[in-house]
Amino acid sequence: MEAFIKKLEGILEVDKIEMDDVLLDFEEWDSLTSLSIIATIDADFHFSITAEELLSAGTVGNLIKLIQVKSKK
Amino acid sequence: MNLKFNNKLITGILTILPANEVKFEDEIANYNFSEAKSLKLKMAMGYNTHRIVEEGVTISDLCIFGFNYLFEKEILKKEEIDAIILVTQSPEYFMPPTSNVIQGKLGLKQDMICMDINQGCAGFEIGLIQAFMLLEQEAINKVVLLNADVLSQKVSKRDRNSNPLIGDGASITIIEKTENKNSIFANIKMDGTAFDALIIPAGGFKTPSTPATSEMIEDAAGNFRSLNNLVMKGDAVFNFVQKEVPPMIDNLLKYSGYQRENVDYFMFHQPNKFMLQKLADKMGVPYHKMPNNIVENFGNASGVSIPTAITFNLGQKLIKEKYKICLAGFGVGLTWSSILIDLGNLDFCEIINY
Repeated sequence: MEAFIKKLEGILEVDKIEMDDVLLDFEEWDSLTSLSIIATIDADFHFSITAEELLSAGTVGNLIKLIQVKSKK
Repeated sequence: MNLKFNNKLITGILTILPANEVKFEDEIANYNFSEAKSLKLKMAMGYNTHRIVEEGVTISDLCIFGFNYLFEKEILKKEEIDAIILVTQSPEYFMPPTSNVIQGKLGLKQDMICMDINQGCAGFEIGLIQAFMLLEQEAINKVVLLNADVLSQKVSKRDRNSNPLIGDGASITIIEKTENKNSIFANIKMDGTAFDALIIPAGGFKTPSTPATSEMIEDAAGNFRSLNNLVMKGDAVFNFVQKEVPPMIDNLLKYSGYQRENVDYFMFHQPNKFMLQKLADKMGVPYHKMPNNIVENFGNASGVSIPTAITFNLGQKLIKEKYKICLAGFGVGLTWSSILIDLGNLDFCEIINY
């Protein structure tokens, strides 16, 4: 998961993300960052999430939890 | 489902593109995003220039221009054409079929079949499969497949989701019978439950165009479009492609008995560079075997994108050489289809400007 968080920081162009950071509040957030995250999850964890799921996760922490839950399925 | 065809051959491909070139940078001001963000999108998706018809130019203009080029060069003779299949989502009328309009304008013989098919991203495969089926008939020896779309006319200029990638164009592909015994393998799947992943919501009989359907509305991401405009669920389409296309190709190769390494080129539909690179990564195919440069040079003209990828990237090589090519189209419908075919020794393989 640490590798994924590193990639997330790269996509969002920040040095460090916190678990309670709100995705929509990132300066860089747009449809491209959203698609980049979806593509990264697809490549690294082999499942797909929708843009809606991503948005309703809200925070970085909730997104990580969503990935952990989906990975177990 | 898996399909197999024998004794069929593609003998020529011509792509007709509007000469009018529009640059991504010239449209940035239309979008509700910062210039920096739009330039980042340009880099990732491979947006640069796209070919857009001048107002009033329709698909029959592009197709007839291409036909006349082939007639004048004496590469194609009018009386040889036994069928025209036109795959388009920008017909000139609800009725009659645009293929009939083209037949009439060209003065082709009456003893033939004209047929419009409403398909998009998988339109080259659908058209080829239909052509192969028609060629099973004794009376049919030469089929002309037309792929043509001018969907830029239905895309909102203020929609950064679709406008930068859209392109217009047409292609003419000739399919004939051959003694050559090499089989052509194909497969095709459909999922109409996701019919709205790519859609023009208004303008048909279900929701006719009215002043209300032309009202511009901002979506959650900041794009402006009306119900008369094309709308695409980008993330849903991305997920669909990554999920369905790699296993489709695995199945096609298994069915045909060919190894992935023996395929010379993967000529796939061209939604954007990003999606094709992710697809190549997932399939373990090197980028040089799966060209992704059509959107950046010409835009994505739906079913025309594969003929454009072939004529642009291989062109004259296909006159002398022969390659094992895997075609795949995926998108609107949803529809996804692939074909494994020997392509080469063509009578023509080029791009002309309208």
